[in-house]
Amino acid sequence: MTDPSALRQSPLHERHLALGAKMADFGGWQMPIEYPGGGVVKEHTAVREAVGVFDVSHLGKAVVRGPGAAAYVNEAFTNDLGRITHGQAQYTLCCDDATGGVVDDLIAYLVSPDEVFLIPNAANTAEVVRRLAAAAPAGLEVRDLHDQHGVIAVQGPRSDETLDALGLPTGHSYMSFRAVDWRGQEVVVCRTGYTGERGYELVPRWDDTVALWDAVLEAGEPFGIRPAGLGARDTLRTEMGYPLHGQDLSLDITPVQARCGWAVGWKKPAFWGRAALLAEKEAGPARLSWGLEGLERAIPRAHMTVTTDSGAPAGEVTSGTFSPTRKLGIALALLDPSVTAGDEVLVDVRGRPARFRVVKPPFVTPSTSAS
Amino acid sequence: MIPEDLQYTKDHEWVRREGDTVRVGVTDYAQDALGDIVFVTLPDTGTQVTAGETCGEIESTKSVSELYAPVTGTVVERNDALDAAPELVNSDPYGDGWMMTIRVGDGADNGGDGALLDAATYQASLDG
Repeated sequence: MTDPSALRQSPLHERHLALGAKMADFGGWQMPIEYPGGGVVKEHTAVREAVGVFDVSHLGKAVVRGPGAAAYVNEAFTNDLGRITHGQAQYTLCCDDATGGVVDDLIAYLVSPDEVFLIPNAANTAEVVRRLAAAAPAGLEVRDLHDQHGVIAVQGPRSDETLDALGLPTGHSYMSFRAVDWRGQEVVVCRTGYTGERGYELVPRWDDTVALWDAVLEAGEPFGIRPAGLGARDTLRTEMGYPLHGQDLSLDITPVQARCGWAVGWKKPAFWGRAALLAEKEAGPARLSWGLEGLERAIPRAHMTVTTDSGAPAGEVTSGTFSPTRKLGIALALLDPSVTAGDEVLVDVRGRPARFRVVKPPFVTPSTSAS
Repeated sequence: MIPEDLQYTKDHEWVRREGDTVRVGVTDYAQDALGDIVFVTLPDTGTQVTAGETCGEIESTKSVSELYAPVTGTVVERNDALDAAPELVNSDPYGDGWMMTIRVGDGADNGGDGALLDAATYQASLDG
């Protein structure tokens, strides 16, 4: 267990303590897992049925700025920035150039041809910035802004009403963003999220984060808003089959294996890992990500072993949890290419083989569409 | 608040004496630490259990925890309601969220009894 005093703290740390949240280490940050009066299931349900607010200020922030910044990022990361225009954001991957393994998955905000704002994962921000800075042509600036901004996610079918009540912009298209002056503070409002529901991610300056958090909670009260912790964020994203870096994506897991090929601009002449990933795509991956849903009462957890129904090795669980919506155990697993949708497999749950069905995620249909 | 009339184990279970049987559950501290409980696996009635040994599982959204037999004996009742409504352990750990009743074994078999804590001692262990 890491010494809590060595962990970094969100600008909302005092707010979480005042609410009585259970705090835990997440990517080197001390963050709320769940709140009293809530709990994972209630917080999860609030996001599926009403609205929830998450502090995700641990997420990284970085900027690439200077002449040709967007062109440089496009030669580094997998997705094709040519598919979007300024004012839009894009899910992309930073891969290792030699292996194609995933250094991080992140959101790139295209501000202008000369500025790209990045939201990497907390634990990977320094490494992404290091790789970008090391390869950057002269005249480009790569800056780690981790403690310059907070990030607040407002997610759920009633997120528009909540932001409307605050005078923040709503209704812009999925993955697009607006930078606005809100009560004298600059806030970026992006139609993004990690829950599968319609929602927004707000990026205020670090010192303005507390005022915005307080305002969101107050404005959302008539709509049933709840503060939601990283516990619910994990069950929500797993129900959607969204990968988590460090579990479903890693330096040892390529985008081809994780079915993130949709976030790769295959026709681009250059991006880190291109040769390795094209070769793997051509040859066919040695293992492939699938969803597993429980046919009996059992909750799969990361690293549990998967076998075929005849007991032959088939792979490993990368993420697993209880689905509050479906009320059964669900998992993401990397499986042998011989396994296919509809197959029954066995997960070794602490020595007991439990039966699961192989499916293609998502495991749920959100009440509102994220896109 | 820790009920005064119960005995406790260091594994955060409670024991209520009811004649020659004991009723067993987990404490409020335990349910709070586990978070939302989603599956409870209990021994079948008739199962012989030994004080201090595992006899079931309590699983929350986040983690799994073992259920230990606080005394040696025979399981005479299990709380079937927890199969469909495991959240009763969170909402009413000392009442409707009970786990099982055990008929305490005779003589030397009644091993774990000496290890049970009174309410004040259990409270002190939480405060410590």
